[in-house]
Amino acid sequence: MLTAMVIAILTAITAWWLLVQRLREKPWVNQGVVPTSQETLFSSAPKIALWLFLAVVSSLFGLFSSAYFMRLHDAHGELQSWVPLAEPSILWINTLVLVLASGAMQIARNRADHEDLGGVRVYFSVAGLLTVLFLAGQVFAWKLVTATGNYGPGNPAYSFFILLTAVHGLHLIGGMFVLVRTTARVWRGVDKLAVVTRSRIRLSVQLCTTYWHWLLLIWLGLFALLSST
Amino acid sequence: MAYVAIADRDVHLHDPQTFIEKYIWSQDHKVIAIQYGSVAIFVGLIALVLSLFMRLEIGFPDTFRFITPYSYYQFVTMHGMIMVIYLLTALFLGGFGNYLIPLMCGARDMVFPYMNMLSFWVYLVSVIVLLASFFVPGGPTGAGWTLYPPQTVLEGTPGADWGIVLMLASLAIFIVAFTMGGLNYVTTVLQARCRGMTMMRLPLSVWGIFVATILGLLAFPALLVAAIMMLLDRLLGTSFFMPALMSLGENSGHNGGSPILFQHLFWFFGHPEVYIVALPAFGIVSDLLSTHARKNIFGYRMMVWAIVAIGALSFVVWAHHMYVSGMNPYFGFFFATTTLIIAVPTAIKVYNWVLTLWRANIQINTPNLFAIGFIFTFVHGGLTGLFLGNVTVDLPLSDTYFVIGHFHMVMGVSPVMVLFGAIYHWFPKITGKMPNEVLGRIHFWMTFLGTYAIYLPMHYLGILGMPRRYYAYGHTDFIPGSAHAVNEAITIAAIVVATAQVIFLINVFYSLRKGKPAPQNPWNATTLEWQTPQTPPVHGNWGPKLPVVYRWAYDYSVPDEPKDFIPQNEPPKGHHSLAH
Repeated sequence: MLTAMVIAILTAITAWWLLVQRLREKPWVNQGVVPTSQETLFSSAPKIALWLFLAVVSSLFGLFSSAYFMRLHDAHGELQSWVPLAEPSILWINTLVLVLASGAMQIARNRADHEDLGGVRVYFSVAGLLTVLFLAGQVFAWKLVTATGNYGPGNPAYSFFILLTAVHGLHLIGGMFVLVRTTARVWRGVDKLAVVTRSRIRLSVQLCTTYWHWLLLIWLGLFALLSST
Repeated sequence: MAYVAIADRDVHLHDPQTFIEKYIWSQDHKVIAIQYGSVAIFVGLIALVLSLFMRLEIGFPDTFRFITPYSYYQFVTMHGMIMVIYLLTALFLGGFGNYLIPLMCGARDMVFPYMNMLSFWVYLVSVIVLLASFFVPGGPTGAGWTLYPPQTVLEGTPGADWGIVLMLASLAIFIVAFTMGGLNYVTTVLQARCRGMTMMRLPLSVWGIFVATILGLLAFPALLVAAIMMLLDRLLGTSFFMPALMSLGENSGHNGGSPILFQHLFWFFGHPEVYIVALPAFGIVSDLLSTHARKNIFGYRMMVWAIVAIGALSFVVWAHHMYVSGMNPYFGFFFATTTLIIAVPTAIKVYNWVLTLWRANIQINTPNLFAIGFIFTFVHGGLTGLFLGNVTVDLPLSDTYFVIGHFHMVMGVSPVMVLFGAIYHWFPKITGKMPNEVLGRIHFWMTFLGTYAIYLPMHYLGILGMPRRYYAYGHTDFIPGSAHAVNEAITIAAIVVATAQVIFLINVFYSLRKGKPAPQNPWNATTLEWQTPQTPPVHGNWGPKLPVVYRWAYDYSVPDEPKDFIPQNEPPKGHHSLAH
């Protein structure tokens, strides 16, 4: 179902965009005409690529969630192997940390819009540290779950918990590469930066912010999914 | 104007100097396209040889000692997986997508050239990992290309030790490579079109590749999810897909997993995959037919809408591959309905191809022969799809040779016909040399008639009830002696078709060395890739000035015009060129 919804939403967005692009144009009647402007969704290619990538990521997690539900459904047979997990309460703290990371990222983005690269430096670093804290918290949650319960790989609730949090964490780690690179660039010298570099930094900050917010949303969805069963 | 900022920027994204930068670690989309294409054709040839081994065993059982039941299943599996993923997907999108998108859109390169380069090298890694499975203990997996659990990971299935692990790892790596390439293709089409090139002026080749890439981006994650979870079942003993069962007298240790879940995930990828291969073929064949029939494509808008509609519908038909899996009969009703609905836009396309040829000035040359041949094979494969799409007809035909005949016609032979047509069509632009026409025609007729000789009888065998995937049939009542004779004939036809591909390779290498130098626009085509100042196009494609587009891609045989084609970048009479 989730997958179907994700696909439906993506299809709707595509359809809407295609309408914007005037799929009704009759290209054979307007020879010789050169349009003065062409509509595009975003002003920059990296932003389009990021949203496309987020669509891929959403599709991935949507399908994982569908698999979760179907496996849960199929487990209600005679060979009951699904032992519900008692999710450790540290997950609530982790969630809060990730929300704060996302918030710091948003502030960094506002600072970048105001050409305040010093502020970007501070809040970007804070967001990075909070993300590392989140990841450490997730690993700690694995340890808690493994230690407290008598769970093994035979219990899909346990396997799914580790798998989903790990895949989500890997996506954050991927984002951390960009974050670290951008932060390093800002640290190297706030005042000496050329205009081109400044606009590139602003773009990186914008892209990172979008990515972090989206991964926060995905985590909230996963957390709800894991807690609900 | 955003498009100018990207398509026309003077910033040198990459400026190759050395041999290695130019031809190995190249960021030029044309070099990457050739790299993708060469590797894809190389693995495709391996898969072709594997299919010959299979045919030798079926046609002449107990004759070839190196083909054991164990290796037979490995050949089946590797043939299927290589052909579908590592040849067709990679050649259409990585090869032709890379070559054509920037040239047809009027761009200097892909939007992210570095990521494009990475995409190829990661693809190469996936191919190496896949081929490595031939050399590990136990050999490659023999689970069938659908890799259904539980048998895929159980002892007794060929390659259950290492083969399956390498296969799943290779698929995961391939998906990473495809995602990097795919983001590039879509972004480039959206963002880097030259001035005047609206979406509705794009050639249908670009439309097909564009929509197919979007399908791939959304569908490949399903395969990734399935691969990751199966890898964990195999390596860490999880029970996502593996039910509790006894294997070789021992408890496998798994508990409660759902094999059907794997089938859903696999086909949620697997069916769009059919269209990931078919849509670029649809697009390219439209351009080949229009160019070589000297007539505008019939119903351009309908063709675009049909591509989009087929792409959207392809996500809601996947379970028609699972009618015999024991799912709820109402599901079968739903999926049979959606499957039949998808026939509507597909039929529109077929009618439009035929109507494009209607009273056209049809040029009989190799690319056009392959394009027209495609219409035959595709109609044939499509019509047998209607049989298999209906639950009640599918049940007796499921897992018989009818299915093999169907899917090889519709997504094996048909896309390959287009690929050959496309290679002959763009060979002059890619290499600067004309391909040999006589060898090309021999190649076409042997391939076209030969594949019919292979797959047409298979439908008959399927209706007899001959099951697929069997190593040996022995003597059973329902398989008459004539079926064995048919199998021998099919094998001989397969050898003939394989020989034809040798002629193709000879043609490629001969023409590369001794072919006539190609003019800039040998087919008098309208699309932008034929209007480049150099042939083959050099780095940056367009020289100092980007083209400006004034018209759609299909101005062939326009009444009262001196030439029978008007290139897209030719200004209307009385106008000065806006190219700057």
